[in-house]
Amino acid sequence: MTIETKLNELVARKKKALAMGGEEKIARRRAEGHLNARERIDSLLDKDTYVESGLFATSHLPEAREKTPADGKIAGFGKIGGRQVAVVSNDMTVMGASSSVVNGKKIRHMREVASKSGMPLIFLGESTGARMPDRMGAQGRAILGQDPTEYQRLRQSPWVSALLGSCYGSSTWYACMSDFVVMRKGAQMAVASSRVTSMAIKQPVDAEELGGWKLHSETTGLVDLVVDSDEQAIAAIKRYLSYLPSHHNEAAPVQEVVAGADENSKRIADIVPADGSKVYDVRKVVEAIADPGSVFETKARFGKSLATSLIRLNGRTVGVLANNPMFKGGAIDVDACNKATSFLVFCDSFNIPIVFLVDQPGFLIGIEGERRAAPSKIINWMNALSLVTVPKISVIMRKSYGQAYLNMGGGRNSDEVICWPTADLGFMAPEVSVNVLYGVKKEEDPARYEELLQQVTRDTSAWNLAALYETQDVIDPRDTRSCLISLLDVHRKRLGSEVGRHLLSNWPTSY
Amino acid sequence: MADTKVVSEVTGSVWKVLVAVGDSVEADTPVILIESMKMEIPVLAPDSGVVTEILVSVGDAVSDGQSVVTIKS
Repeated sequence: MTIETKLNELVARKKKALAMGGEEKIARRRAEGHLNARERIDSLLDKDTYVESGLFATSHLPEAREKTPADGKIAGFGKIGGRQVAVVSNDMTVMGASSSVVNGKKIRHMREVASKSGMPLIFLGESTGARMPDRMGAQGRAILGQDPTEYQRLRQSPWVSALLGSCYGSSTWYACMSDFVVMRKGAQMAVASSRVTSMAIKQPVDAEELGGWKLHSETTGLVDLVVDSDEQAIAAIKRYLSYLPSHHNEAAPVQEVVAGADENSKRIADIVPADGSKVYDVRKVVEAIADPGSVFETKARFGKSLATSLIRLNGRTVGVLANNPMFKGGAIDVDACNKATSFLVFCDSFNIPIVFLVDQPGFLIGIEGERRAAPSKIINWMNALSLVTVPKISVIMRKSYGQAYLNMGGGRNSDEVICWPTADLGFMAPEVSVNVLYGVKKEEDPARYEELLQQVTRDTSAWNLAALYETQDVIDPRDTRSCLISLLDVHRKRLGSEVGRHLLSNWPTSY
Repeated sequence: MADTKVVSEVTGSVWKVLVAVGDSVEADTPVILIESMKMEIPVLAPDSGVVTEILVSVGDAVSDGQSVVTIKS
């Protein structure tokens, strides 16, 4: 046998593997307007940077080898914006990208290399779940659980998931372990498919209701961003990663500063009404403070009374938690608590400084919140905050009431607290406390009410907080951007090369 | 054309009704102001459409999840 024969075999085998599940299945996807697994990798990675791992892997069962090119999960390495990443792309045309013995080994290798060599891991999800009948019976059980770290997350490098079709099994589990999840409308994520679920509970189940984008972006909060197409999902992944370091032991990359930023920040005065009972959309304030075009909001449809965004300030990545009076008056509900905690954990794990923009009338109290364990969510957040070791700056714009004053970085919970002159500090509104303390209502006894109101009213101003050195400065709102840039520079972790201690690295990836 | 219930996300009392039956509204415009937590909190139309029903009056107590306006969109 000559080398040519061998090389011809290589070419033939490569051609067969690259053909995936066959032209018919690929054409069907094309007609539906969705990219196939290899096209997704091509559009994700920089040109000519892809190195595949496991092109010739197949099912371990001899009878299934011919119909399992790459065993349904395509894996490899490549670059995004010149930086190395690892990627797994599920190929639905090969046995529904079902999880098998061999493709499980491929995922494990990607995971281990990403962690050891310090690069993001990207999971392009679309899978049907466990491969049948491989997983049936005791023999099927015996091939599971051979990697006790399979579901361990220590955040050595960022993990990103895209939900790009029916996602059951591994695509779902990896999404739930990821730092960022983007979902294409029309995709579903659930423990089991609507067909399996329907058979189990003997009732019709609507796939969209079971695991559609509305459920996950508005109710569960498991999805960070919703998009309309595969192309948009891939663009979002690239953009998201541009804010992050490649791994936990380096600072985030610094981008060139865009012109015009300082002029934008002067608009703040027109956005925020001085009257604390009037609402506004705090995301406009975030836009005005950030480098132009640099705001990347996460979980925009979930826990909306608190907005979380990655932004750049003078080219450097910053994570912003901002109360949004536009929704629920800025009152912080259970969803907003979970959103805040997960964002703190994420920022701290990847050396991203944190800014709080504070304007909140307190936690949203009520029966619904208590039923959902609101007190534990509030304290979970405080525990996380106390373990954060990246720089933290809190800007009190207007109201900061109740316990939430601390959750939003009040006191020594931030490295610096800055106030606007409109800041209003207190435990609760004096009008409410007259009733709570003395049981007197304005409409029942106006004279006594007024007298007691005067008694309980305290100086709630920024000046009083400043006199006690609980706020380190009171600034013109229009100077917020320049003030934050200066203070974040002051608090850069020079001794640790801007790398924190990562005390939250093994905290849950969802709440 | 489908009926969309516009729902309050907070418990509170109706402070102002900002629309009338027959008005056209755009998505994300405030239709009712609820007073709660000492704030004037807007209830936003989820979609654009025409107001067909106003389900509350000024001063009414409103609970979280309650429909306040119906629009046809």
